[in-house]
Amino acid sequence: MPLELSHELKAAHDRDSLARQDFVSSLRGFILNDMAAGMKARFEDEIEPALTRALGRPPRTQDEVHAAMRKDTYFKFYSSVRYNAQEMVWRAVIPGVEAALPDLSRQIDELSAKGGGALSLNPDLDIPANVAGLDVHLMPGGYANTETPAAGAVYDNGLAVFSAGFMGPNLDDIGLSMSNYVKHRFPDFHPEHILDCGCTVGHNAAAWARTFPDAEVHGVDVSASVLRYAHGRAQSLGLPVHYHQMDATDLAFEDSSFDVVFTSMFLHELSLKDIKRFFAEAHRVLRPGGLLINMELPPNRELKPYDQFYLDWDCYYNKEPFYRAFRDQSPEDLIIAGGFGPNDYFQFTVPQFSFTEEAAFIAAVNAPPSFDGDTGRLSASLNWFGFGAWKAKI
Amino acid sequence: MDPAAQSLPVDAEGRRPAFFSGDGVDQLVTMVLELATELWVLRERVFVIEAVADRHGLPLKAEVEAYVFSDAERAALEAMRGTMMRQLFRTLNRDHRPVDTDA
Repeated sequence: MPLELSHELKAAHDRDSLARQDFVSSLRGFILNDMAAGMKARFEDEIEPALTRALGRPPRTQDEVHAAMRKDTYFKFYSSVRYNAQEMVWRAVIPGVEAALPDLSRQIDELSAKGGGALSLNPDLDIPANVAGLDVHLMPGGYANTETPAAGAVYDNGLAVFSAGFMGPNLDDIGLSMSNYVKHRFPDFHPEHILDCGCTVGHNAAAWARTFPDAEVHGVDVSASVLRYAHGRAQSLGLPVHYHQMDATDLAFEDSSFDVVFTSMFLHELSLKDIKRFFAEAHRVLRPGGLLINMELPPNRELKPYDQFYLDWDCYYNKEPFYRAFRDQSPEDLIIAGGFGPNDYFQFTVPQFSFTEEAAFIAAVNAPPSFDGDTGRLSASLNWFGFGAWKAKI
Repeated sequence: MDPAAQSLPVDAEGRRPAFFSGDGVDQLVTMVLELATELWVLRERVFVIEAVADRHGLPLKAEVEAYVFSDAERAALEAMRGTMMRQLFRTLNRDHRPVDTDA
């Protein structure tokens, strides 16, 4: 079922649009669970044995798996239906967002006037090509800078359909899971200044404000549209978050400004060059003893060739051109190149905070990471992958 | 027009991938999914109509379940189904009918 957004900016969709959202949400659930399981079984029962015979050994790379799967009728239907479902997500919410737009800016202005978090936009910012020139996630119009909060509204309403409840009550489970990982794994660490980079509609930045209510939380993104929406959204939820229009690879903050620098599902949207620039910036703006923490798709080295191929579907068919290049990297090498110490890297997996008993969550936080085919993918037994590093104390 | 009113794009930029080698199969998948979506829209609306009617004291759902067609209604429905079948399979009929030079 689509998540029903609980803040004041949610669009009022008509009855037929709600039915289309119900349908595509269930369709995605069917694709990602039933069809995915069927496709994997087909690989294991027929395609992998045939490929092993042809190669004289089991497949070693996801490219070998992908090449074999591409010829398979099940994969063709899986991919075609999944691609269509992605388009249908946006098509099911856009009419409602269009109808809401005339009032949306006024609503946001009223919420912003309540005080709390601040919004600072920079009309002179150069919007990078990976945002301005690409409809990432097949989202029509993309996330680029517009004068209206339309892109933010389309993304928020679309994500509520896309995620079918897997992303928590305010689409904030990633932020809640990561912030509570920090809270329970490092109980003596009390961050006062927290930065979320590439925050889009601020759903996860708001989660950090919920977990650490005494901290000052900031979010940055290059798109004014998503930031305007993010600000109104957080205000509506009663969470004071400061949003800034900035490029995370060239932050305008002073050195040593933050105790935590956080990203979620952000690095895989960047070129390798920009990822390296971002980590150097993260290192610069962290205070000594501060924490860099990233939620991401798991690195390919941790997964079997089939699971690598399965997760990288988005790179080939969902307008995520940098997805695989990132997942092929060693996260600690990237972090070390940014200035962090070789022994300061850590990685972990956690269950979803929103759907896990607190005791089980705390036990998982202190357990070694465990990777399987459900790590990082939206499914009934999802767990999130994270990695990070401490900035050396002087 | 309200200055804040805005027509939003509904298609992402760029070419759609082709998963099938057969001509038109990718488009056909889209058509089937669009049809399935709209079928669901109707089913959900019928569900709501029955629920609203029940709420206002008209036991629509129960009466629909118990409804028995008259002979005349049965014949009318049979004719409607025949029309629907001919429409559904009209391309097959055209391909298979003998060439009619007078047509």
